[in-house]
Amino acid sequence: MLNRSLAIARRVFAQLIRDHRFVAISMVVPVVVIYVFKVFFDAAATPLIKASIFVVPYGAFFVHFITYVLAAIVLVRERTANTLERMFIAGFRRSEIILGYVGAYSTLATLQSLVVLVGLQLLFELDYDLPQFLSLYLVMWLLAVISMALGVLVSNFARNEGQVFPFIPLIMLPTIFFSGIIIAVEKLPEWAQRLSFLTPLYYANEVIQQLIEGQTLADAAPDLGGLMGYGLAILLLANITLRERD
Amino acid sequence: METPAIKIENVTKRFGKIQAVSELSLQVQPGQIYGLLGANGAGKTTLLRLISGATRPNSGQLAVLGLHPMRQRHTLRTRFGYMPQTPALYEDLTPIENITFFGRAQPQPDLKRRVAEVLDFVGLTERARQPVHGFSGGMKQRVSLACALVHRPPLLLLDEPSAGVDPKLRAAFWQHFRDLAAGGTTILLSTHQMDEVLHCDRVAVLRAGEILAEDTPQNLLWRGQARLKVWQGGQLHTHTLSDVPAGLPPALQAYGLAPDVSRIELETDTLETIILNLIDEKSRHA
Repeated sequence: MLNRSLAIARRVFAQLIRDHRFVAISMVVPVVVIYVFKVFFDAAATPLIKASIFVVPYGAFFVHFITYVLAAIVLVRERTANTLERMFIAGFRRSEIILGYVGAYSTLATLQSLVVLVGLQLLFELDYDLPQFLSLYLVMWLLAVISMALGVLVSNFARNEGQVFPFIPLIMLPTIFFSGIIIAVEKLPEWAQRLSFLTPLYYANEVIQQLIEGQTLADAAPDLGGLMGYGLAILLLANITLRERD
Repeated sequence: METPAIKIENVTKRFGKIQAVSELSLQVQPGQIYGLLGANGAGKTTLLRLISGATRPNSGQLAVLGLHPMRQRHTLRTRFGYMPQTPALYEDLTPIENITFFGRAQPQPDLKRRVAEVLDFVGLTERARQPVHGFSGGMKQRVSLACALVHRPPLLLLDEPSAGVDPKLRAAFWQHFRDLAAGGTTILLSTHQMDEVLHCDRVAVLRAGEILAEDTPQNLLWRGQARLKVWQGGQLHTHTLSDVPAGLPPALQAYGLAPDVSRIELETDTLETIILNLIDEKSRHA
């Protein structure tokens, strides 16, 4: 099984590094968005507000959004090109395909999370020590990998690229409003609070806020566990719903 | 009698209201080259997908190499090579990368050498390291065929393998198919080109998901009519013979060795005419 997953990961990675535009979009767009965010933040924020409380979760959101959309579209492309069916008929299995994809895109997520976090650190002059930086990086990386799995899950319900687009606001709007990055989850109505548990950014934001306050990953273990559990649940769902046949 | 490589009994497949395959039965013996002939929409691709386990039948039974295409698909898929109608390749990758990738789906002792072999066979060694997206339709078909052959499967399912392939390479393909069949590989292929079925051991003519005729190409040819034209004393006499070998002597006996017979011609139906007549005949009865 691992050999076949590795074969898929190698193939996807070979395609990724040749798609310069895709890599550029994945890396440059978050930086541009962070810069725009900086301009906006400088104009709007009062000196009393601690920037890191907002900017790191927002950075995590950018990574989440971009990775989710790109992963969803790429897998649908496999379906429309009939290569997904050919993979199945050649003998690749569902779990191997998902694992292969997650493996290849994790490399991209590793770079993307690093670019975003370094960009935030430089632009907003955040003063994190190394353990704090690495902890934040781990959370952002984990979120990126989960976002990719979420993209794979969503792509299972679309037959072409066009059908992916309605899923973007469907997932992203609750994420923006209910994950706690704009308004504290406790202030939301009860039904919306329940909805927040369905967004990965909720768990990531909870961990990020604790890390920013100076706590460690061990202190944030329950929420970190929630994020990992969410990721596992999404991977499982993606595996169940990946359709081989019409 | 040997167990058939493919056994299909009363299989029906519907897509919504469309009946793609209807109560179809056929058997393919090991080492046979079996052709599915029919126009677009005749049910050839659906039948190949049913055999490969890519789609589930609504009713009927299928056994492929003694295995159930759905319940035992993971085992079965290690034992056949499939070439879809559209090339289904990663166009940003090279032929080597595509073939190696599909080759890795099954354990291979010397994959690198095997990839070189199949690339040589499809005549793409020189372009092995160029991205597929710049290739013509025929070249993509060749890469796709190489992907199906790479793990040396005992059964090949080929959906229009020579579509868009030039005549010289097509002849090479057929020679290779014959060599594979001689070595025991069973080949089931679809085509809409009449002349190609002459290379097959058996042929099923499909129309609207049903088999119109199933026989050897030679026997199908005998189903046609022949026209005997005799020029005698400046006059042309035409006789239509429905049974060519048996009907010819009595037709000629009428003329004996008459000295004024200046010319005799025997014009037989082509396979294309025979099949088109079959289709017309079934349409009239439907």
